[in-house]
Amino acid sequence: MIVLEATKLHKSYGNKFTKHEVLKGIDLRIEQGEFVSIMGASGSGKTTLLNVLSSIDRISQGSIKVQGREISKLKEKELASYRKHELGFIFQEYNLLDTLTVKENILLPLSIKKVSKKEANEKFHEVARELDIESISESYPNEISGGQKQRTSAARAFIHDPSIIFADEPTGALDSKSASDLLTKLSDMNEKRKATIMMVTHDPVTASFSSRVIFIKDGSIYTQLNKGEQTRQAFLKDIMKTQGVLGGVSYEY
Amino acid sequence: MSTKQLILRNLQKNVKNYYLYLFALVFTVALYFTFVTLQFAPAISSKESINLAAMIRTTSIFLIVIIGVFLFYANNLFIKRRSKEIGLFQLIGMTKSRIFFIISLENAIVFLFSIVIGTFIGFALSKFILMIFFKVIGIEESASLFFSMNAFWLTLLVFSVIFLLVMVMNYVFLKRRTILHLFSVTTTTEERVKKISIWEILMGILGIVFILLGYYVSSKLFDGDFNDFQQMMNAMVSILGLVIVGTYLFYKGSVRFITNLIRRQKNGYLDVNEVLSLSSIMFRMKSNAFMLTVITTVSAVAIGLLSLSYISFYSAEKNAEISIPDHFAFTDEGDAERFGKTLKENSIPFVEKRVEYVQKELDISSLIDTDLELTLDTSNSFMTLISEDAVSTMSLREDEVMFTGYNHMVEAIMPLKKKGTVYVSSEGTSIPLTYMGLEDEYILNTRVSPGGLPTAVVDEKLFSKIREGESSTDSYVGINVTKSSTREEANTLFHDLGLHKTHQSQLDLATTQKQNMGLVMFIVAYLGLTFLITSGCILYFKQMDESEEEKPSYRILRKLGYSKRDLLRGIAGKQVFNFGIPLIVGLLHSYFAVRSGWFFFGTTLWTPMIIVMVLYTILYSVFGLLSVKYFKKVIREVL
Ligand SMILES: Nc1ncnc2c1ncn2[C@@H]1O[C@H](COP(=O)(O)OP(=O)(O)OP(=O)(O)O)[C@@H](O)[C@H]1O
Ligand SMILES: [Mg+2]
Repeated sequence: MIVLEATKLHKSYGNKFTKHEVLKGIDLRIEQGEFVSIMGASGSGKTTLLNVLSSIDRISQGSIKVQGREISKLKEKELASYRKHELGFIFQEYNLLDTLTVKENILLPLSIKKVSKKEANEKFHEVARELDIESISESYPNEISGGQKQRTSAARAFIHDPSIIFADEPTGALDSKSASDLLTKLSDMNEKRKATIMMVTHDPVTASFSSRVIFIKDGSIYTQLNKGEQTRQAFLKDIMKTQGVLGGVSYEY
Repeated sequence: MSTKQLILRNLQKNVKNYYLYLFALVFTVALYFTFVTLQFAPAISSKESINLAAMIRTTSIFLIVIIGVFLFYANNLFIKRRSKEIGLFQLIGMTKSRIFFIISLENAIVFLFSIVIGTFIGFALSKFILMIFFKVIGIEESASLFFSMNAFWLTLLVFSVIFLLVMVMNYVFLKRRTILHLFSVTTTTEERVKKISIWEILMGILGIVFILLGYYVSSKLFDGDFNDFQQMMNAMVSILGLVIVGTYLFYKGSVRFITNLIRRQKNGYLDVNEVLSLSSIMFRMKSNAFMLTVITTVSAVAIGLLSLSYISFYSAEKNAEISIPDHFAFTDEGDAERFGKTLKENSIPFVEKRVEYVQKELDISSLIDTDLELTLDTSNSFMTLISEDAVSTMSLREDEVMFTGYNHMVEAIMPLKKKGTVYVSSEGTSIPLTYMGLEDEYILNTRVSPGGLPTAVVDEKLFSKIREGESSTDSYVGINVTKSSTREEANTLFHDLGLHKTHQSQLDLATTQKQNMGLVMFIVAYLGLTFLITSGCILYFKQMDESEEEKPSYRILRKLGYSKRDLLRGIAGKQVFNFGIPLIVGLLHSYFAVRSGWFFFGTTLWTPMIIVMVLYTILYSVFGLLSVKYFKKVIREVL
């Protein structure tokens, strides 16, 4: 089943005279349960793409359908409701409220949906166990490590079973050990919960955890790679090769 | 970019950002200017009442203090907010003195602009204020619009001095900070979020206990538990101490302690209101504890004084009726007759009341708690005796006595027991009388019946007997005009007779009290208003600051699917706490202060106090609403 379908996405900034086109006709389909990475050089429009798909920014032209529903024409209130029911977010930084405890942060999406307290508690224990953060549930964000913070935001993204989870460089602020920990957990969740994940990253290793990688160049899709039946190692090599071609950078391995 | 351009750019940006600062400055200038205009108004300065002019001068000093503190605070907040920008200028190679010059010039423009506009507004307001002023103090003079050059120079002088002091402060601020400091200054003011500590819990409990204890002592203050002057003073000082320290601890710990308790019960599941209110209430209130304590205490004092003077004003007539129970009171029958004749000549109908009285030393020690250590000798207290005939409602036996018209201030300090025996000595023998109780009616004026003690009423036969033993008897004559429309005219006639000062007019007393209290009220209200506006502005500035720091949170929440309306509702809730807590604590403080001693000022507590409190609350809410409006803009802009 197709969860998200974007056709001929255009996005430009500025007015008539200073117009700067960032997305130039992107077509995209994401299946239920997929784990998709988006890669590309700095300034190629990755964040912009993620923002328009997640309704945080408006598109200039084109259409975005989530579970068959057109979202680019929704009003602010409907958009808020769409985000609340269908989306989850994990960002590079600044994504926890530092005056709330870990548990309170994670429960936020359920609180806006007015889920019963008992059900909320059950769901909390479930994700907290899966992401291994039960022991820090009463701590404040400034009392926990970066990796724990990211797992907390992951838990918050998963807790209300959204249709899609968007992640913008979720491992950007982590060391490689914590990064691969987080990614292992993410791909576990992706498999167990059949959650659809869309992630922007610079890092080929991070991208190799996903099932498909989309390369963007100057606001258009350059190419796509499917993991298929390959091992992660082999997939990583493919990604690096493509990246080398794309950016003219070659990795030594 | 040249320095000139830089200044202009900065000004442009800051005018938009700091329009409230500008507003506050303009407003304070206007308030000050109007007030000093009063001082120089010919109607006031020409009056021989030096008292009035002196009072206004003293008040204007208070006004300067409030305005000065406020402007310091506001400037402090703004320079902190701009410290990043200042750091940046330094980073690109500007010297500190150059930056100081730019800031000073910028401020000079803002001050000058405010003084001009403020004076203009103050000038426009002055007629209105003068009108109110004449009205409350009962001067019958029309307020004419005039521009006082003296007032303008004084305003200019005061604000120039404040400006210079502000500049000195900025200079010290700049001198002390390194570039690195400047970049981190905003983040160091708010403390780090962490779990509540035992110490805080203790402080929280102590704060509430202190405040409640203070209230409790204040309610006992005039219940007769403290009975000498020293004890009373000690009690008052400890009430002040308890409440002020309690308030400080309340902001420092209790607020957080209570919210923590509520939060614990939620078990991690918070709704939007709670999410938004929490940070500001739990973590920020604490770091603003000192400021909030000052705001609360001064508001409490302002509300309290205003309530008391209003109570006094409101009860002026009632009070006059107590001190002088009849429209005109005479201690001399001849003068009373003269006045009566004049009234007849002018065909003003009236009734006359004649009361004979004897002043005797009575032993009332059995009616008063023995542990009372007053200067009064209760076994030998000087009281006025009258016959039961003077009081229509009483009929007593020969061995009985009743009291009537006990001044309630004295009663509060020295309450009488319900039963006891009173001794009166007549011709060498001491006669025991059974005390039958206390009535409310006032028969004689306070000049006749001194010391605030009630008048003793005895049986007619006994009274005659006692009177015979006295060398002289006195009588009191009260004259009441029967038509209230003729009262003013009668009063004028009373004055025209030029009688001795011992004869009194009820109307005169009420008018004098109204004038005095009107003046006090006007001045307190003026100071209170200035304070209200400045403290409202400070809270508003704080909120502006907070909104800046909370932007990332709003962004996250909106991404999570909270709509603008959800957030706005949460913010409104948060403002209810931010403005409501200091307001409610201030109102409570003033309520207990007023309640403990209001009867010294008048006879009606609730109506005047509630009017004052409601007005204060309404004015305060305006700032709350303004800050919600500001947040609305912030929320709209985060995504
Ligand atoms: N709000 C905006 N206004 C104007 N231009 C913008 C805005 N946001 C992004 N851009 C422009 O759009 C282009 C793409 O930006 P985007 O943030 O999507 O890049 P990115 O691929 O995420 O880069 P990076 O890897 O560095 O994060 C950039 O050239 C940027 O200047
Ligand atoms: Mg980006």
